Amino acid sequence: MHIRAPKDFWSGIMFLAFAATAMLAARDYSLGSAGKMGPGYFPMMLGAALALIGIVLVVRSLVLTGEAVDHVQIVPLGIITIGVVLFGVMLEPLGLIAALVTVTLIAAYAGRESRPLEAAALAAVLAAFSVGIFVVALRLPLPIWPSIF
Amino acid sequence: MDMLSNLTIGFGVALTLQNVLYCFVGVLLGTVVGVLPGIGPVTTVAMLLPISFTLPPESAMILLAGIYYGAQYGGSTTAILVNIPGEASSVVTTIDGHQMARQGRAGPALGIAAIGSFFAGCVATLLICFAAPPLAAIALEFGPAEYFSLMVCGLIAAIVLARGSVMKAIGMVILGLLLGLAGTDVNSGIRRFTFGFQDMADGIEFVALSMAIYGIAECAYNLERKAEEADVTGTIGNVWPSFADIRHCTPAILRGTVLGSLLGVLPGGGALLAAFGAYTLEKKVARPPRNFGNGDIRGVAAPESANNAGAQTSFIPMLTLGIPSNPTMAMMIGALMIHGISPGPRVMSERPELFWGLIASMWIGNLLLVVLNLPLVGMWVKLLRIPYRLLFPAIVGFCCIGAYTVNSNIFDVYVMAFFAIFGYLCLKLDCEPAPLILGFVLGPLMEENLRRALLLSRGDLMVLVQEPLSLIFLIAAALLLLVVAAPAIRRKREEALQE
Repeated sequence: MHIRAPKDFWSGIMFLAFAATAMLAARDYSLGSAGKMGPGYFPMMLGAALALIGIVLVVRSLVLTGEAVDHVQIVPLGIITIGVVLFGVMLEPLGLIAALVTVTLIAAYAGRESRPLEAAALAAVLAAFSVGIFVVALRLPLPIWPSIF
Repeated sequence: MDMLSNLTIGFGVALTLQNVLYCFVGVLLGTVVGVLPGIGPVTTVAMLLPISFTLPPESAMILLAGIYYGAQYGGSTTAILVNIPGEASSVVTTIDGHQMARQGRAGPALGIAAIGSFFAGCVATLLICFAAPPLAAIALEFGPAEYFSLMVCGLIAAIVLARGSVMKAIGMVILGLLLGLAGTDVNSGIRRFTFGFQDMADGIEFVALSMAIYGIAECAYNLERKAEEADVTGTIGNVWPSFADIRHCTPAILRGTVLGSLLGVLPGGGALLAAFGAYTLEKKVARPPRNFGNGDIRGVAAPESANNAGAQTSFIPMLTLGIPSNPTMAMMIGALMIHGISPGPRVMSERPELFWGLIASMWIGNLLLVVLNLPLVGMWVKLLRIPYRLLFPAIVGFCCIGAYTVNSNIFDVYVMAFFAIFGYLCLKLDCEPAPLILGFVLGPLMEENLRRALLLSRGDLMVLVQEPLSLIFLIAAALLLLVVAAPAIRRKREEALQE
């Protein structure tokens, strides 16, 4: 077996994984009948259809030649995602300013040509701007400072 | 008479100081993101969805719509002056537009792009006025079977017209539908696909999902590509095209407007398809044809008119049927739902101030855009000096704030982080995210309509082909699929989409 179309192959695998998850979860919901569709009916149908697409893609990728997957750069994506998660962790206990400065600095670091001073200035400007727009002008319920004060 | 009173309502809403201001902010932001490569209207609309929650629905729609058509104006500026499309829909404008700039005719190119866009925008808005009410009236008669089949047809059309592999696009639609089903089932009260998370009871937050894909995943994806050097071409000069230029372009603008308006209405259509279609058509029919590719002004006029016309008419299926034709429209539907308005034919009769106010604001917005774009073009060019390394941390930061503020729930931020990774994989695997977003919005609606249709027919699936209108939609969907499957036409499609 030789994978001739890696992009199609991995897309197929991704669809199969989602289909399997969906169908396994939907097992617990009652199917009902066509005339009285239960909560499991439509998800099962979709899950089966998605699995079918996945199988076709995988089989086809073993027969027909297609594009290779470009080099996946996990580092920038990983850094940005960590930044987003940290924002979530920090926001409620530490406030918007601390969380936003953190995520901006981390995201800036993910770029290849990051400059520390410039990133710090950007973070400061963004924090001031966001407090002005989101909290003062739009009155969104966001904590600005750490909640211990 | 009826139209007049409708328009009176519309302008009454759109001309309030507050709404003119939101329209201005919308088209201003649209122009800015249109000019800047690497950030587009979809990302911007996604980032502004949470803010629109704090506004009245009319103002929210006016603001978000302004971003979409405003970006069509801004995109041409970058295309002409820098040879980089500021927006995907101005890709074809780079061909002749940048050649004109190199020949020292950047001014007339920018001018004709703005004039063409303005004309097309006005015509398309007029078209919405006349086409929407009868369409909505027909749609009001639809039963659940018709609605289900219409959605099938719309999704299939969106797939056929999308770029890339049809098989993957179908997969993405189905995956989108599945993701849309997560949360509490309205009929049985059972929680589906929540995987034990209490916070998933209301399903996956649309704002978090769209920002994850169009904001964060795109940032990570863009970071991998070499930054394109912005090389701004010399002086712009007088932006007013000569009388001869205008006369030369009039047929091109007219053709672009008509074709763009038609292509915009199609599911999967909108500005992008309109611009490509118009340029191809212009190359075929314009007489004399000689100059295309070497700075023919008609090669700017036609696609720029078409993309604005298409951007505007793509509101028709969204406003009358509640069916999005592209991701931006899906987000407009998301915005309406945040406000508790279910989009569909009833919006027009139940919330005339929303419907007609939005349309009236498009006229005002187009006028504002001409004023913003022609005299101030030098200012927009300066924006191109902003490097992407400053832009993307800001996008990530705003997405974080946005994801939190929709429901004041930290969980949505984590949902966004998860789908950012998913979105990045999709981009890497050439799985277009647009069909996924469309499917996500339509998922619960499709299930509900299928359920009702089958309940009425006592479980007989034949009901979908026994209702004449429903049958027509399904046949159209099948034909569309056949068309892509047929090898000869498939090659044509690839050619057309590649050009």
